[in-house]
Amino acid sequence: MDAVSDPTVETIELEITAALASLREAFLPRFRAAATAQALRDENAKILGKKGELTAILKLLGKAPPEGRKAIGEKVNALKQEVESGFESCLSNLRLREREAELSAPPFDLTLPARVPAQVGHKHPISIVREEVVAVFRQLGFAVFDGPEVEHEGNNFTALGFPPDHPATDMQDSFWTQSNHVLRTHTSNIQVRAMKSIAPPMAFIAPGTVYRRDDDATHSPMFHQIEAFLVDKDVTLAHLKGVLAEFAERLFGPGTPVRLRPSYFPFVEPGAEVDIGCVFCKQPNGTRAGCSLCKHTGFIEVLGCGMIHPVVFENCGIDPEVFSGFALGMGLERLAMLRYGVPNIKLMFDNDPRFLAQF
Amino acid sequence: MKASYRWLRELVPQLTASTTDLAARLTSAGLEVEGLIEFGLASEACLVVRVVSCRPHPTKSGLRLVTVDRGGSQQEVVCGAPNVPDLGGLVVLAPLGVYLPAKNVTIAKRAIAGVESEGMLCSEDELGLGDDHDGILVLAPDCATPGTTLAAAVPAARDTVFEINLTPNRPDGLGHIGLAREIAALYNFPFVLPDFATAGGMERAPSALSVRDLVTIVVEDAERCPHYGAAAVVDIAVTASPSTRYRLQALGVRSISNVVDVTNLVMLAWGHPLHAFDLDRVRGNTIVVRRANDGEKLTTLDGVTRELVSDDLLICDGQGPVALAGVMGGASSEIHEGTKRVLFEVACFDPRGVRRTARRHGLHTESSHRFERGVDPGDVESVLDHAVGLTVALAGGQPAAGRIHVQHAHSCAVPAPPAKRILTLRVARLRALLGVDVPFDEAIPILERLGCSVVAKSSISCDVLVPTHRPDLTREVDLIEEVLRVRGLDSVPAQLPAIRASRDVGGREELARRAREIAVSVGLSEAITYGFTSARALEAVGAPKPTVLLRNPLGEHHAVMRTSLLPGLLDAVAHARRHFERDVREFTIGQVFLAAAPSGDGLPTEQLRIGVVLAGDRPGWLEKPQPLDVWDAKGYAVGLTERLAGASALVQVEPATRDELTEIASHLHPRGAAFVHVNGRRIGAFGLLHPDAVAALALDGDVLVVELTLESFAEGIPIPQYAAIPRFPASTRDVALLVRDAVMAGEVESAVRAAAGPLAERVRLFDRFTGGHVAAGFASLAFRVVYRASSGTLTDAEVDAAHANVVKVVGERFGAKLR
Repeated sequence: MDAVSDPTVETIELEITAALASLREAFLPRFRAAATAQALRDENAKILGKKGELTAILKLLGKAPPEGRKAIGEKVNALKQEVESGFESCLSNLRLREREAELSAPPFDLTLPARVPAQVGHKHPISIVREEVVAVFRQLGFAVFDGPEVEHEGNNFTALGFPPDHPATDMQDSFWTQSNHVLRTHTSNIQVRAMKSIAPPMAFIAPGTVYRRDDDATHSPMFHQIEAFLVDKDVTLAHLKGVLAEFAERLFGPGTPVRLRPSYFPFVEPGAEVDIGCVFCKQPNGTRAGCSLCKHTGFIEVLGCGMIHPVVFENCGIDPEVFSGFALGMGLERLAMLRYGVPNIKLMFDNDPRFLAQF
Repeated sequence: MKASYRWLRELVPQLTASTTDLAARLTSAGLEVEGLIEFGLASEACLVVRVVSCRPHPTKSGLRLVTVDRGGSQQEVVCGAPNVPDLGGLVVLAPLGVYLPAKNVTIAKRAIAGVESEGMLCSEDELGLGDDHDGILVLAPDCATPGTTLAAAVPAARDTVFEINLTPNRPDGLGHIGLAREIAALYNFPFVLPDFATAGGMERAPSALSVRDLVTIVVEDAERCPHYGAAAVVDIAVTASPSTRYRLQALGVRSISNVVDVTNLVMLAWGHPLHAFDLDRVRGNTIVVRRANDGEKLTTLDGVTRELVSDDLLICDGQGPVALAGVMGGASSEIHEGTKRVLFEVACFDPRGVRRTARRHGLHTESSHRFERGVDPGDVESVLDHAVGLTVALAGGQPAAGRIHVQHAHSCAVPAPPAKRILTLRVARLRALLGVDVPFDEAIPILERLGCSVVAKSSISCDVLVPTHRPDLTREVDLIEEVLRVRGLDSVPAQLPAIRASRDVGGREELARRAREIAVSVGLSEAITYGFTSARALEAVGAPKPTVLLRNPLGEHHAVMRTSLLPGLLDAVAHARRHFERDVREFTIGQVFLAAAPSGDGLPTEQLRIGVVLAGDRPGWLEKPQPLDVWDAKGYAVGLTERLAGASALVQVEPATRDELTEIASHLHPRGAAFVHVNGRRIGAFGLLHPDAVAALALDGDVLVVELTLESFAEGIPIPQYAAIPRFPASTRDVALLVRDAVMAGEVESAVRAAAGPLAERVRLFDRFTGGHVAAGFASLAFRVVYRASSGTLTDAEVDAAHANVVKVVGERFGAKLR
């Protein structure tokens, strides 16, 4: 349209002024009526958009004579700013209301089962105890020495000083293979292997699987032991007691009493069995009340030990006049059963998922 | 070993320690007391009473009303026993309120068939003194005044019995004399061996007969029987033996007759078993000690007829075997009521031979137990003295003059004392081994109290003569242990050694620990499975034939060492399913036992592996349970391998071909099996278990398995090397390709990767779709390819060119069309 052909300036001014007045009246209620942010934006677009009402008014300005345009333009712009700020404040009100509504909606059902990020499995209780015992001895300076489960009779029995007809060596107590090897009956074969292959000093632990021909509620034909041994010059029984005390404190807690009773194993002399203060009836003051698990003695037997027998040294080519050493060994099943209160050794090898999940 | 506190105190009169103190002291010296049995506890509260009158029960036949004098007062009790003695007889009354432990009852006033009884007349059974419950206990006339307690009237009816768990090196502890010597040493009391030769009836003049006139003894195998001693008593009367009854009963031995009781008591005194023959039943008046002939038969006292082998040592008479030497007698020459002449055998048998015979025949007797551990070769004469003296005291008769001793096959009247060992003890060695100074002034008296004697001594060493009752003392270190035992282990301080650290030898413990850690972190729980299994189970899982076969398995199910971890794991699945646990996700780490390496030490090759079983549903969240499938197995197999091998290793999965399955993985399902490769080396396989294996092992449903060798991971993972983080943005292109659905996605993916060229940083299959708009027989595979250059931002043209090549190449190679 051509501005020159327009009617009068006054007419256009009036028309614009009236339109602005009516829009000023209407926009806020329209904004406030919007229930959602989208509705509000739509409403805002109807006014300020390309085809919006205020834009239409602005287009009328072109028809106005140049000398009046500035004043009218200012009025239009003023309203535009009012609309914009009205929009912003309505939007922010709306957001507040939405946020309020979101916060006050019914709570999430946190009684639903958890979504576990990744299923975590369980170590076998024997492995837990094994790793702990190994860790304790590693801290004390021992290293691990590996050895086979199928062993020569010499390493398992003869070199350890078992006489040829010792009951442990016969078919009733030990498993023999058709090649006349024995399934090792203890981890003491590692003592022999280490002493035959390495010159002292040595400080080793030997965790592993062992086999004996027993099968009842308290015996499994396969079980696990850990042996520890130290060979050096001037190793004494006092050192053995020192290591045992340290071991007991670290595995069973500070202040755990250790008691040694003389006993007999062919490959140590002197030999002893080791009891520790019962872990089940320990009182807050450190004493033991006595319970059925320790047969009311306050002590439970956990391992056997002793000074390595000179005959073992001789059989392994080490001079017992120069070197001495100690060895100690324990059954891991017993430690695990004591610690976790497992009543029957069979449970350890059924591998029932409901059992394994408890540890 | 059961030991009587009463008997020990007779042998060590100075002993005043309470039973619990003595038990603790013995335990601390290595003679572990496992329990204390209170024998005849009721004897302390029950009274000896005299029968005053006796009348029938008014209503009930079989019952009587017995009035007894309990020392000043009388009372009437109801009694059902058939053997109430005549007036004046002594019986035992359990008064009101007395607790009888053997029956776990407390005597209360109660009416028996309408008549109130204020107490009970007791049988041995009720008093806990024996198993005789046929009638009440009737005491010897005038053995006590009425009103005294039974314990005071019959001291042997009350005792405390120590149950001692003796280590096998201490045969001397298998008799009360040895224990008494030990106790005297521990408490520093003098120990004097009672003189059994003059005790009892030995003062009685010996018979004019000599034992040599009565019997001839021939030892054919002196190696197995280095010493055979014999003595005889004639004109004896075999009777019941009330005076020895309770002592034996307390020690768990039934009293049989005076002569049989003699053999048991003397054995329990010396720890040296002896045997009594009825001399009139020894045919040919001859005893021959010889080895059995193969197939020879002997019926032992337990009524079992045993077929013998030539390793069995026999005691024979003129006609045949009468006893299994050192183990058990035969029935033919047994002592019986009519025996008039008894021959005692006190012998030394080779411990190993006795052990072999006992084991072979499944016999473990008081006798074999002692001979296996070694009896004292120096006490034969004393044991015979004791047996003869006690026999004369209990059964009358006269000892035949003289003894027969056959020592090392030579007959003699007086045995030569066995050679004694001399050991040198150095005072420095005590300190070197114990870590504490023990002067000779302290050590030597301890050894002397134990029966040793010092034959030479300097300031630094001494020579110690070892008594014959201690066969376990063979080296200097044994003497040191004796000193330590008696001093107490508490006397040694605890001292941490300065350990010169060693390094690991072999890495399996650490490797297993690492594998365990990883397996647990991916959601598997650890099973521990047996090293042995059955050949059948191994065959079912297509494992190599076992090479380690057990000669003496506990059963066919555990007869061979495993060549695969799967049978043990599948046992766990079967166990779980039997208990209605369907979800099993377990692993095990352990050795398999393969053929020995040709150049090795002859032992089987032990290979460390990890095995996994998966069964049941995949763990999920609020969705319909989905069964685990082969892709889960792949996830575990690859996940474990990648973490074991480290980030720099190339882990690949190769589906198994039919041929490979037949040869090495026949346990796996032909459609769902694959191998895992690390840096081109196969380390194991995974897949769905073949339905034949499921059936053979009665597994009742599908199982997924993984088995990997761990050895290639022994070195640990290589240290990862840092790669620069990209500085320029990536461009992503997706492509959906329509291929025949038999085409393996992995092959397409490899082709996409190759075609996309060096700019392709990552290629990932993110969708596989069949059905719907996709024609039957086809699948849509959608890949996302991420392009990036390290030198700068890629232009669209560069990316489009690379991506166009992808479409072209896979189109040519697979006939794939864009979707």
